[in-house]
Amino acid sequence: MTNVSLAVGNATLERERAREQWRQRTARALLYIFLTALVFVYSLPGLGVILTSFKTNAEISRGGLWSMPGELRFTNYEEAWVEGNVHTYTVNSFLVTIPATLFSIALGVLTGYVFSKLPFRGSEALFIFIVAGMFFPPQIVLIPLFRLFNTVGLYDTLWPMIIVHVAFGLPICTLLMRNFFSTVPTAIREAAIIDGANEGQILLLVMLPLSLPALAVLATLQFTWIWNDFLWPLIFTQSDNMRTIMVGLVTLRGQYSVAWGVQGAMAVIASVPTLIIFIFFQRYFIRGLTLGAVKG
Amino acid sequence: MWTIGFLAIPLALYLVIVVGPLLYSFFFSLTDWNGFSFDFNFVGLANFQRVFSDPLFGNAIRNTVIWMIIAILVPVTCGLGLALILHERVRGANIYKSLFYLPICLSLAVIGQVWFWIYQPRWGLLNLTLNGIGLGDLTRAWLADPDTALLSVIVAWCWQQIGLGMVIFLAGLTSVPVELTEAAQIDGANYWQSLRHVVIPLLRPSTVVVVALAVINSLKSFDIVYIMTRGGPFNSSDTLATFMYDESFRKYYMGYGSAISVVLFAIALVVIAFYFRQVRALEHLYD
Repeated sequence: MTNVSLAVGNATLERERAREQWRQRTARALLYIFLTALVFVYSLPGLGVILTSFKTNAEISRGGLWSMPGELRFTNYEEAWVEGNVHTYTVNSFLVTIPATLFSIALGVLTGYVFSKLPFRGSEALFIFIVAGMFFPPQIVLIPLFRLFNTVGLYDTLWPMIIVHVAFGLPICTLLMRNFFSTVPTAIREAAIIDGANEGQILLLVMLPLSLPALAVLATLQFTWIWNDFLWPLIFTQSDNMRTIMVGLVTLRGQYSVAWGVQGAMAVIASVPTLIIFIFFQRYFIRGLTLGAVKG
Repeated sequence: MWTIGFLAIPLALYLVIVVGPLLYSFFFSLTDWNGFSFDFNFVGLANFQRVFSDPLFGNAIRNTVIWMIIAILVPVTCGLGLALILHERVRGANIYKSLFYLPICLSLAVIGQVWFWIYQPRWGLLNLTLNGIGLGDLTRAWLADPDTALLSVIVAWCWQQIGLGMVIFLAGLTSVPVELTEAAQIDGANYWQSLRHVVIPLLRPSTVVVVALAVINSLKSFDIVYIMTRGGPFNSSDTLATFMYDESFRKYYMGYGSAISVVLFAIALVVIAFYFRQVRALEHLYD
């Protein structure tokens, strides 16, 4: 009797387990289908631009923006680069982004080090005062800065963007560098002091080599923000030769309003540098995003 | 000595480029400066009187509030949903994550351009799709229609912000101890119950961050609006940031524009004070 009921029980259990397994497998399959569909829809905007950038006007008017191009041709890229003045915009963007990235990080290293290792009375308040700058909309200083750079004769040069990006980068650079230096044991600094090093030597020879990962995080973040900026060059530049790529993109949109392919090519060119950073340094970029956001 | 040396340049720059101009905005808001001439007159609080009686300002406030509400709802829910899915052991999770992160590294200028094409009335993907699935009645010139312009721009913006929300929630999820969710399951809680009573309360710090970012970014929303609609048609997609730009740099009412920026500053200040209080409260909670 008991044997029989046990056997029956086992069989039910087995069937139950199989059903459970099947259910889990279906749920997983559905999840993958859902995710893949979602990713597909999510990447459509990007795909559309890339497809368009390879198509001729005739192809677009025949098949629309969202069909496959007949062949891989780079004429749109050539036209954007040479005739659309995109090479000038790109050079300008690099001339702004690289120095602004380097200097904002350099200043962040200095302030971050002070706030973490050389605290003084009121340093905490000063730290919050600087970091708070991260949260304010840039609109609130637009007009005075416009007047300032006009007065000192820097309007319509690349200088205002470099200066403003360094200043506005200071909050995030200070925040991340202070948090990083706080994780470096104070004993290292004390050992260096005993060996006769001054603060400048400690920062340059001891701390800086240790902080390469933090510097990489900041470099990816700052490069991306500054490269992608649109507002400052819109306010501070006027002539075509001083445009950075993001403003140039919009200026050219009027000029090439019907040449969708050329516009697509320009959008792709404008995105390549940050995409390269994203692809090769994604780890640092994402860490920077979370650190910057969560600790704020 | 070294402290002063280290702080001198950064602080000087910060004072000259950020703090000084901020104070100057207050000063200009009391003038009628036109942006060209060097001179200007003091007009007292006239600019502020004008701000609060200007229907276009009310319109910009309303649009910014709509933006804020959607900016809170969509990245929080979608970002959290995606983070929860991808936090589980999903094969190829890293590839999925990368694809959702990707829009974050794109410029809002490029994103605006791309979505401008999606909404294009004749060839745009949206209208093509609607026609394709038999919903042709819904097609319209999305960005040229005052009823849909603002929402269309916000959707494009959300495309980028969902990834950002996901990043922050994923970071938050790694700090939720597995033992806690397992304990909840042993106690008989199903997935949704443990999510609601264990995981989501523990994600509160991340949620505060995502909400704060959404609010701050909606106050900053300029690039994508400027590129897609310039605030139009008929100011239907004007935000505070584009309204301020228009009054100052297109109509050259720099005094009036300064008054708008002062109001913007006041709103930002309230948000930031609230945020820092929340963060402080959270820090005490987890000490």
